[in-house]
Amino acid sequence: MRSLTTLLLLLAVPLVSARAGELTLYTSQPNRIAAETVAAFEKADPGVHVSVFRSGTTQVMNKLNAEFMAGAPRADVLLIADAMSMQALKQQGRLLADPQQDVSGFAQGTYDPGRTYFGTKLITTGIMYNKKAPFVPHSWNDLLKPAARGQVVLPSPLYSGAAMITLGAFTENPALGPDYFKKLAANKAISVAGNGGVLNQVESGARDFGIVVDFMALNAEAKGAPVGFVFPREGVTAVTEPVAILKTTKNPKDARAFVSFLLSPAGQELAAKQGFIPARKGVAPPPGFPPAEKIKLMTMDIPRILKDSTRLKQEFADLFGG
Amino acid sequence: MTRATWLPLACGVLLALVAFPPLLRLGFATLSPAALAAVATPIARAALVHSVAMGVVSTVLAAVLGTFFAVLLALTDMPGRRIVAFLFLLLLIVPPQITAQAWLVFVGPASPLLGPLGLAPRSGSEPLYGPGGVAFLLAVEQAPIVYLALRASLAAIPADIVEAAQAAGAGRARQILLVLELARPGLLGGLSLSFVAAIGNFGTPALLAIPGRYPMLTTLIYQRLTGFGIGSIGEAAALALMLALLALAGASVEALLLRRVATQAGRQVRIALGAWRRPAFALACVLLALLLAAPLAALGLTSLLPALGVAPRWATLELGNFRSVLDAGATRRALLDSLVLSLGAGVVLAALLIAVCHAARRGRAARTLLAALEIPYVVPGLVLAIGCILVFLRPVAGVALYNTLGIIFAAYLARFPALARRPLAAAMAALDPALEEAAASAGAGPLPRFVTVILPLALPAAVSAATLVFLAAFNELTVSALLWSAGHETLGVGVFNLEQAGEATRAAALSVVAVAATVALMLAAGTALRGRRLLPWQA
Repeated sequence: MRSLTTLLLLLAVPLVSARAGELTLYTSQPNRIAAETVAAFEKADPGVHVSVFRSGTTQVMNKLNAEFMAGAPRADVLLIADAMSMQALKQQGRLLADPQQDVSGFAQGTYDPGRTYFGTKLITTGIMYNKKAPFVPHSWNDLLKPAARGQVVLPSPLYSGAAMITLGAFTENPALGPDYFKKLAANKAISVAGNGGVLNQVESGARDFGIVVDFMALNAEAKGAPVGFVFPREGVTAVTEPVAILKTTKNPKDARAFVSFLLSPAGQELAAKQGFIPARKGVAPPPGFPPAEKIKLMTMDIPRILKDSTRLKQEFADLFGG
Repeated sequence: MTRATWLPLACGVLLALVAFPPLLRLGFATLSPAALAAVATPIARAALVHSVAMGVVSTVLAAVLGTFFAVLLALTDMPGRRIVAFLFLLLLIVPPQITAQAWLVFVGPASPLLGPLGLAPRSGSEPLYGPGGVAFLLAVEQAPIVYLALRASLAAIPADIVEAAQAAGAGRARQILLVLELARPGLLGGLSLSFVAAIGNFGTPALLAIPGRYPMLTTLIYQRLTGFGIGSIGEAAALALMLALLALAGASVEALLLRRVATQAGRQVRIALGAWRRPAFALACVLLALLLAAPLAALGLTSLLPALGVAPRWATLELGNFRSVLDAGATRRALLDSLVLSLGAGVVLAALLIAVCHAARRGRAARTLLAALEIPYVVPGLVLAIGCILVFLRPVAGVALYNTLGIIFAAYLARFPALARRPLAAAMAALDPALEEAAASAGAGPLPRFVTVILPLALPAAVSAATLVFLAAFNELTVSALLWSAGHETLGVGVFNLEQAGEATRAAALSVVAVAATVALMLAAGTALRGRRLLPWQA
């Protein structure tokens, strides 16, 4: 049996060497940003060529799952919006662990303790307010005040990965408690599909407060919209756009190099240039954003959130109607 | 007299093959107990009640507005009737998601028009969210539907009746009431069409009812399917079936009534307004300014702002949104996709329907087919889309259409034959049979007769048919909202997705492009078909 394996491995060697220098990346990054990321890596590591398949996270996962079923996943590296999909892949045994990967500059919770996937940036969820609002909130509990009644708009976890992680993290947070979303609903908060809908409503002044991802609010403020963004004192949640290597890769060497590049200071500076907070401490964030070390991240137990996600979504749909 | 040739038969079979399978598949969808249980939930019941309520309230409002314009435009000698009719029809042709978007920026707290005047509502309130706003905007969009139905009825009333009333001493108001009384079937038909349009509308409730926490059937179907994925197709199908039955019930009223409307040639009623001519025109202009021009102007201003809520000043106006919308791959692709899809659907449907409409003059089968082709148009677009998903989820005859533009094209071909049929059927009815008989007596067979005699005469009607399909498909959202996939978007989806992504000012820019393209096409088609009365805005 063992000799058979060896024989197969030997036979596979020419295949591996034929693939050296070729990487296939599946990503949910927007076109322009994905192209920048790949160009920067190819410049840092000449001799490697990366082909990209880009689509929404759901479509990327659909394609990948179809390829798993057919037994021939084509992707070597995966770079998608949220850790929950990565965690699901990890539990199916699809991801390659990389214990050597250096995570010293990264906060716990941004990477998988089993070192299969690594967060590349912090897209935090905090509170956005219209400058005409009666008060500026500093705590998540401020949104439960009578003055915020009917004035809070939030994204739905049925559509938004960031909203799902926020919902899951809040239910375990001692300062907020499992009933936080029930109280929000009782205070007549409104759920819209995605973060964009939240931005529209607070920007236009239709509602005073919104629960939303940082860059949307901060970019709007920078363009002159009458809004502001706060990182509440209990802390914020974050999606981390993790990167991972598939176990079935035929080019683990270059795949590792790609992951290392994204986590390196150079890769992290690129993330900052693209308008995101780098996950790595000590790398300067984009103007107007706080650095990673200043951000208080809530505990986000991704495996548990993944396990409870269907129940949490259903409860949320019952509370907010979809 | 002549036996059916293969051409209308082939065209008819093709049409039937694309038009009916989605709805039949939905009708036979194995409704699992779980799916039926989902329809019996409190939220589904609330959505049903809300949809019916919005349908009724908006229809009553639309009747008032639509009747007012129908009287002015079809019965009186008000000046500027042509331009007023054109602008009034724009209320229907501008798609609901763009209308809703325009009204939101027009009357919202960040209104670029009302804000500088100090008239904008206070921050933290959006007057249009919820049932009031939904009913109002649905009414504005449906008023032209009532107008069109009523106008057809009014045109059939002979002028003699009014002259007799006048001779008997009836005043202007009495004359108008008398004519309206006679046109009642048209009005009732318009009301039922307006109700059907209301319950099937998706763009308006998507922008006003979802944020207002006011669930309706169309938004609930959309939210379930996009929120819980394709696994909830059973539940969505059950909800869609409920919506379809509601629409068919509403439409059957119209079908029963329409049979009684006889078309009649002859002099049309024209009541002289006398001293009221100018005031009537002024009132029509004020209404159009409020209902059409002001919201579109607010949308136009918004498209020039860097972000929502920025006060419009010369220094803050910029064309960046237009540049980025026309440069970005996704939006440019959406524009092109919609152009190709709607042009393709218009040409294909017009071509297929020429032969069928011609055959329908003599053949019973063709007439039945044409009547049945009304159903996919009456049924809400979302319902048809669910049917298409059910049919095409797995490859059909080895062709995989799901997640491609093909499924949207198939849905358009299924949905819009009813629109293409109207001008073609009218043209065929007006065709003098003597022409064909002359050709036949000269020895021409059915196919040469069709190609050399019928086709050239039907061409203007075919252009009109293709134009109507194009206008409906170019901006539509209700069908493609469920059928688009990454890389295969339509213009309606493009606007909606930008709006959902928080890019309200870029969404406004894309909407301005869409409205400009639509108006340009209406004007171009109007010029090409001048004097033929083949287009609704050529009354």
